[in-house]
Amino acid sequence: MRESPVGRVFRLLIAVLFAFLILPLIIVAATAFDASGAVVFPPEAFSLRWFGVLLESPDWMRSIANSLLVATGTTVLSMAVGVTAALGTRRPDGSVGKALTALAVLPLFVPGIVIGVTLLTFFSRFDLQGSYLALVVAHSLWATPLTFSVSQTTFARFDWAIQEAALDLGASPTRAFLEVVVPDVRAGLLVAALVAFVVSLQEFVMALFLSGPDTRTVPVQAWNSLRQGLDPLVSVVSTVLLVAVVVLVIVGSVAVGIERLATDA
Amino acid sequence: MSTLGRRFGIDALAERWRLLALLVPLLALDLGVFALPMGYLLRISFAARTPGSAFVEGSWSLEGYQYVLESTLVHEIIAFTLVFGVLVTVLSVAIGVVYAYAARQASGWQRTLLLGGAVLSLFTTLVVKLFAVVLVFSPVGVLNDLLLRVGVLGDPLLLIDNLTGAVLAQLYIVLPYSILAVYAVLSTLDEALVEAALDLGADHPRVFREVILPHVRPGIAVGAIISFTWTVGAYAGPLLLGSGSERTIGVLVSELLLSRFDWPAAAALAVVTIVLVFSVLLVALLRLDTRGGVLDA
Repeated sequence: MRESPVGRVFRLLIAVLFAFLILPLIIVAATAFDASGAVVFPPEAFSLRWFGVLLESPDWMRSIANSLLVATGTTVLSMAVGVTAALGTRRPDGSVGKALTALAVLPLFVPGIVIGVTLLTFFSRFDLQGSYLALVVAHSLWATPLTFSVSQTTFARFDWAIQEAALDLGASPTRAFLEVVVPDVRAGLLVAALVAFVVSLQEFVMALFLSGPDTRTVPVQAWNSLRQGLDPLVSVVSTVLLVAVVVLVIVGSVAVGIERLATDA
Repeated sequence: MSTLGRRFGIDALAERWRLLALLVPLLALDLGVFALPMGYLLRISFAARTPGSAFVEGSWSLEGYQYVLESTLVHEIIAFTLVFGVLVTVLSVAIGVVYAYAARQASGWQRTLLLGGAVLSLFTTLVVKLFAVVLVFSPVGVLNDLLLRVGVLGDPLLLIDNLTGAVLAQLYIVLPYSILAVYAVLSTLDEALVEAALDLGADHPRVFREVILPHVRPGIAVGAIISFTWTVGAYAGPLLLGSGSERTIGVLVSELLLSRFDWPAAAALAVVTIVLVFSVLLVALLRLDTRGGVLDA
């Protein structure tokens, strides 16, 4: 089949858009492997030197630990809340379920800066600004609607007659849930947890307002460096983050396929 | 028949309560760290201003709103933010539709690549994205370097520290949301409809206009809502890649809160922002009739 000129222009346009999405990120990663202290592309001399510098920088290592801690906390909290809520709305109760879904997604439509400012004023009342707790609950506000809706979709695909059969055969509700329901919905729940983890890992604006000197996450630390000029360590950290995300996306794709990952998330 | 009685009476009631109990954590989270703090912010917006030391505890005043209503600087910033929001939203949705359509048309590894690119961009922290935009589009960046070396340009293009920079940065942040919102709806389109239209003699652009666009309207709505909300609340993009004239409401709010320590003014401005965003959302939802779909995404 011969391609029409319109088709060819369309293909070119898509290639340009794809490049716009991806090339800048690849360029960032490439600058991490240059030996010099300047951020240059293409790299002039290949070196892993800045990765070593990163490992020896207490500030950066601290921010990496903070990010992992906050993301783990957010995953645990938002999964606990999201999965229970998804189980609770399994049999849609009409208006209650609808109102609750609306309430759950509401924080997603409030700009991060507004949530950040709001929680900063609120938490400073209790001297909680700059605490891990503040960061975890703030991130959970955004992660929970996602874990909730991914879990809902997942549970909707499950055949609940199987669980009722287990109950009728004498299993306790907990046992039926852990041994019958969970194995079947594992992939979906894994994706929900992954999404929650990534949402926290990448969130910046709320963290900027809510973190203190000891609880700074990686994006906040990177922002502070960027405001002072281009820093090779930002390239290195960005590369680490990008690789982490690529690995997580691959894990998610293997679990449920890129198609569902792209439409569920 | 006590078992039957239990099954249809007490058990059903207990089951109902159990289901409701499962919703308690969600309610606690959303009320405790969302609704309640929002209420507190609203309260502060009605406190008396004492610039330099947060707010006057226990006082009631309209000074915060007065500031928002009377300052021409605030008006200019709000007007700029709305224009900026519309501009970025239009670009984001237009590109999102085209890209999602291409991903739907592509097959095999090409589709995986296009979707993977959007998901990777979605999952990348905005700070890294902004850093990437600086590296590529600054006067000494990769793009200008390339264009100068090839000889297309005599002088570098000024693509950052101005409106172009702010738009590029913000677009780079919101675009994957638009793409995936549209794609999610597009993936439910019955391929047979497209085939039928093609068989009946419509060309690709016409199929796009008359079959695909009407189908993806809910996806467009979600993409537009996300793009607009995020752009109206934009902070980092305009600050890092705009100039002094690309100040958004978000930049001003943080300045009032953190540098000028004027909490009632900051709170009032934040409240006004929420009202603005939600009015736009409401209008969008009403325009979509009661077709739903928006809340499911």
